Amino acid sequence: MNSEYLQQITRRHFLKEAGLGLGTLALGSLWGCSSGGNKNYFNAANPLQTKAPQFPGKAKSIIYLHMAGAPSQLELFDYKPALQQLDGQDCPPSLLEGKKFAFIRGVPKMLGPQAKFKQHGHSGAWISDNLPHLSTVADEITFLKAVQTDQFNHAPAQLLMHTGGPRLGRPSMGAWVTYGLGSENNNLPGFVVLTSGGKNPDAGKSVWGSGFLPSVYQGVQCRSEGDPVLFINDPQGITRDDRKASIEAINEINQQHYKEVGDPEILSRIAQYEMAYRMQIAVPDVMNINNEPKYIHEMYGTNPGKESFANNVLLARKLVEKGVRFVQLFDWGWDSHGTESNLAIDIGLINKCRQTDKAVTALLLDLKQRGLLEETLVIWGGEFGRTPMAENREGKKNPFLGRDHHTEAFTIWMAGGGIKKGFSYGETDEIGYSAINGKTNVFDIQATILNQLGFNHEQFTYEFQGRPFRLTDVHGKVINEIIA
Amino acid sequence: MKHLLFFLIAFLAAGAIYWWATELAKPVDFNTQVKPILNKRCITCHGGVKRESDFSLLFRKDALTKANSGKVAIIPGDASHSELISRINNPDPEERMPYKKDPLTKEEIEILSKWIDQGAQWGDHWAYTKVEEQKLPPSNSWVKNDIDRFIFEKINENDLSPSPPASKEVLLRRLSLDLTGLPADPELSKPFLSDKTSVEGAVDSLLNSPHYGERWASVWLDLARYADTKGYERDDSRSIWRYRDWVINAFNRDMPYDSFLIEQLAGDLLPNPTDNQYIATAFHRNTMTNDEGGTDNEEFRTAATLDRVNTTWEALMGTTFACVQCHSHPYDPFRHEDYYKFLAFFNNTRDEDTYADYPLLRNLEREDATKLKEITQWVEENSSKEKAKEVYRFVKTGEPVINSLTADHFVNAELSDTKWLIFRNHGVARLPRVELTDKNYLIFRFTSYKPGGVWAIHLDRPDGKIISEVSLPDSKSKWVTNEIKISQSQGMHDLYFTYANPNLKKPDDSGMIFDWFYFTDYSFKSVADNGVGKKYWELVTKDFQTTPIMIENPPSMRRVTQVFQRGNWLVKGDTVQPDVPASLSAFPKNAPYNRLGMAQWMVSKDNPLVARTIVNRVWEQLFGIGLVETLEDMGTQGIPPTHPELLDHLAHQLMNEYQWSLKKLIREIVLSATYQQDSKITPQSLENDPTNKYYARASRVRLSAEQVRDQTLAVSGLLSRKMFGPSVMPYQPGGIWLSPWNGATWVRSKGEDQHRRAIYTYWKRTAPYPSMMTFDGSAREVCTARRIRTNTPLQALVTLNDSVYVEAAYQLASLMKKSSSKLDDQIRFGYRKAIGHEPSLEVVSALMTLQNRTSSKVEIRKVKNTEDEGKNSGEDQPLMLVASAILNLDEFVTKN
Repeated sequence: MNSEYLQQITRRHFLKEAGLGLGTLALGSLWGCSSGGNKNYFNAANPLQTKAPQFPGKAKSIIYLHMAGAPSQLELFDYKPALQQLDGQDCPPSLLEGKKFAFIRGVPKMLGPQAKFKQHGHSGAWISDNLPHLSTVADEITFLKAVQTDQFNHAPAQLLMHTGGPRLGRPSMGAWVTYGLGSENNNLPGFVVLTSGGKNPDAGKSVWGSGFLPSVYQGVQCRSEGDPVLFINDPQGITRDDRKASIEAINEINQQHYKEVGDPEILSRIAQYEMAYRMQIAVPDVMNINNEPKYIHEMYGTNPGKESFANNVLLARKLVEKGVRFVQLFDWGWDSHGTESNLAIDIGLINKCRQTDKAVTALLLDLKQRGLLEETLVIWGGEFGRTPMAENREGKKNPFLGRDHHTEAFTIWMAGGGIKKGFSYGETDEIGYSAINGKTNVFDIQATILNQLGFNHEQFTYEFQGRPFRLTDVHGKVINEIIA
Repeated sequence: MKHLLFFLIAFLAAGAIYWWATELAKPVDFNTQVKPILNKRCITCHGGVKRESDFSLLFRKDALTKANSGKVAIIPGDASHSELISRINNPDPEERMPYKKDPLTKEEIEILSKWIDQGAQWGDHWAYTKVEEQKLPPSNSWVKNDIDRFIFEKINENDLSPSPPASKEVLLRRLSLDLTGLPADPELSKPFLSDKTSVEGAVDSLLNSPHYGERWASVWLDLARYADTKGYERDDSRSIWRYRDWVINAFNRDMPYDSFLIEQLAGDLLPNPTDNQYIATAFHRNTMTNDEGGTDNEEFRTAATLDRVNTTWEALMGTTFACVQCHSHPYDPFRHEDYYKFLAFFNNTRDEDTYADYPLLRNLEREDATKLKEITQWVEENSSKEKAKEVYRFVKTGEPVINSLTADHFVNAELSDTKWLIFRNHGVARLPRVELTDKNYLIFRFTSYKPGGVWAIHLDRPDGKIISEVSLPDSKSKWVTNEIKISQSQGMHDLYFTYANPNLKKPDDSGMIFDWFYFTDYSFKSVADNGVGKKYWELVTKDFQTTPIMIENPPSMRRVTQVFQRGNWLVKGDTVQPDVPASLSAFPKNAPYNRLGMAQWMVSKDNPLVARTIVNRVWEQLFGIGLVETLEDMGTQGIPPTHPELLDHLAHQLMNEYQWSLKKLIREIVLSATYQQDSKITPQSLENDPTNKYYARASRVRLSAEQVRDQTLAVSGLLSRKMFGPSVMPYQPGGIWLSPWNGATWVRSKGEDQHRRAIYTYWKRTAPYPSMMTFDGSAREVCTARRIRTNTPLQALVTLNDSVYVEAAYQLASLMKKSSSKLDDQIRFGYRKAIGHEPSLEVVSALMTLQNRTSSKVEIRKVKNTEDEGKNSGEDQPLMLVASAILNLDEFVTKN
């Protein structure tokens, strides 16, 4: 495998077996990058071909549950009795000097925890009564309680979390993983996105975009209404047999044409049409949750036929079972500013918890009972945390109880995929304002996710604009403390 | 025997010495021999990013000075005393370089030693040297024009031979798609295929088609990151389509490329800019605006400014400059501060990430334009030319105003949603550093919710001297523009605004919001009572259709540009002045040090990058791959050109012979024998030149996202050829737009607007038109210098099932049905219409089989989701699957 060969594949004219299923090439050793040359590795004729990671990873797939808007760690996992004592008092100037907040102006009041906390499981994890179901599986989870970011607005913070940069233009984590691993299932996309809550995440489709990677690696949005994948359903009146006949005719003519002009790209197109035909069966099949047994529906709290987070969580399990590498969920509505009741920390947040708690818990239990939890890394979190102070937008008291965006400390949890069980890492000060030990940041999370999949984040690169790019840019450290 | 042996040895030794001597004398080439070693082995630690031991190999000057060790790494002419050579040879692993990495090979050490002994000259990278006229290689019978001479030379060197010319049918389809993005009309194809029109004639006719501008503008809009929304979280609509139309017109008029760039970069700085010249500057107003509540406007103004620098370099000069934002370029001759000097050209425009996207050009039509003319004439006669210019600029652009979001020092006041200054009762806020010399009037835009508000303006302190105090009417939540008199002061002052309103009962109630402030010495209320003043106020307060444009800051509002340490905009370093990188061509004499001068520097014939970049891009559009494959990077990390002499030849022709005419450049390329070859690939040519980098055949290239749509609409007879105007919303599945905090919805356009060319499709950044994204279109959040083509099953699903394509298949099927009563003739008709030549017997037979397998069952009564047209309903269309198959053939979606 010399560099000329590599250049050829990056220049899109791979070998003649395009689409004819030569199978996986053992290319683990080809990863890594030095300066110069074009080291991007993908087979343009079959860009989703299964690839081996750089080293054997513990996790085979990822389910990333992103609570868009940023849930309050202070009402869920980071128990701060001392903050209760300060409730209603002016925030001390030391916490405000030189700081910038999205909406807090002037001197806000401190706001005590608006939930009751108890310890759960052998691990004694503190979890609030907002999450009665999750409390029962505390011993499966590692909590990261001192995560930090440097973006305090939703769109940039979501971009940072998923693409490693606060601005648009970089590939998302799922796109990187699909570029790195391909897809295990020939009939399904390698990277699937599911949204709930009625809105797309703040940063739009860029949070699952392919950035400068080829567009084939972007997340494919699967939908609960309309076509499950855009344009997957045949037009009305066209039967499966008709579609088969039409794809056979197209491919037969293309095959003829290949004989005439000899362009290997035509063979690739033939393969893509075959795959499209298979996807037309496989996608609606995997997206249909009606056939799941009753106990599964009860366990997840699903409601077939409607857009819901619970449905999406069940779909995520079905997708990883079928070999999808990266399933990204976004649930909208966690931005508890206190400007209206559904954004109140003591009303809206509780409703969001009710909508999601059961399904998230079911996911962990279900993966476990299927023996999939060990090879599936589940991540739950938002794009930042929320302030220990009550929000006072434009310097005024908000109509409901709410907290502003907070970058200095928030909680994310992980389970499965080779992560410790019943563990907590990182600590905040007694009011939950600052991280005091076990600090981690967005890049560390990304490095750890890649590590669990078998990639060294510093060597997993793509050559673009004259330099190798990586998900973690120039940052990130694997959080070895949480790895089992 | 002994003698013989002796002689032999002596002979060999002499030979070796001779060989050695000549080898030593052979000059080492920096670019091809030395630079690759430095880039690979040394520059990671001793380059633009890291300068371990204060030693860098990026610039000769740095490499010849003493490093931290106190020793000189490179002594030209003396390798043996050069520290670099002794360190790469040192056996001690603590001393040996590269540190903790594999040692250099013997050959590498030899090259470096020889290079130092020969004087250690740094060579310039090819792309950073001036474009020179090229010597033409010899001609032969295959050659049609000069391009072919260069191409033939390489074909020959690589033991290949050119392909025969493409058939007339294939050539015409290729030309038509390349030049207009559409298949050829019968008015062109009939005379061409019957030899009544020559190739030249056909090319000229295609270049003169209005569709030429639409096809090439699509390419430009990717570079300009043109979109119909502002981007980021809220991603609201932005009205900037007049820029798109300007680009189409500029291509159609064949505006010389140098003027094309000057107007886009600095049209506002030309003397008495026309509306079109202002609209051209929207090129750099296509940057994103962040309307998310709580965002720092200066942060996103800065982000937009950085984007302008990066786009200017990447799109127009084929150089990745973005890395210089954080540190000196790791491999190319650009220093960290070069970035900020260049940024200084862009850092003094009036835009400030405002919600309204100020500054805006207001589109005054007919009687309004006449009114403005009357007003400015009157001012010119009654005051001065200067004053007339000011009035004209204010009416047309509303500038220069102070945006209320620059206010600070709030008490009972705030920036509402971080966008506008909002007051509660007893509110105070500061407007910093306002030039008041000779200003007697203040025009301002505001909205208020309660009567009784009193607004006072204080000099320098909240309780300072009051220069104006007015009671503000209740505007009933509407935006209103008004004028007040202020007492005159001299110099620059902080202004403190106070606001009180007894009708605000609760302390948290807001009374009013300000948008902007315009301080002036000229009031129509005071000078004119002859109807001119009335007209002026009519125009100032009227709503017009607008386009975001560039306007330079007046002297009193100029920003200082500082280096951002390690690229962090909050950590400011040295102050810099506008300038261009010293390592490229010199700044033109007499050119002003502003955006206009910068643009003039770019299009000067000494600039090594601009002409090469556009030639390379045009070539890529016509051949599928650039002469430099990495369109975005011609630097040392880009892929070297396959035909450097040809690239320079065409760049030189463009600047001189063609006077920057892109039509002439394109004409020359498509009239070459190289372009007109057949595209068949033989197993041997695939083996010898898999990527077709020697052009011994024409390239087969999948059509662009725009072409896939436009061609399908055209061959099915659905295409609307209407040009220009606001973007349209053709059929799109439901549920694509779900932007937070934004009630915007996709409302399907009516009538022919459903079937306009792709370039007119509404482009929403956070949720772009799905079928075009599937075919590798760009979301246009930032500049896309090169689309990477992919081949995926999702593309098949679009052309099989997207309602746009289903409808097209339906229409093509009904044309086929009407064409004949015989199935095989119907199939021939449809295939010819789509692909432009007769189908083979095998094709006809495969499609007849399809028809026979399916016709009994297919009943497409209605095309899915196109409920409003009505024209499809009721009629069965059994040929629909055959038509759809034709529209899905590889030959159809590929340029052959």
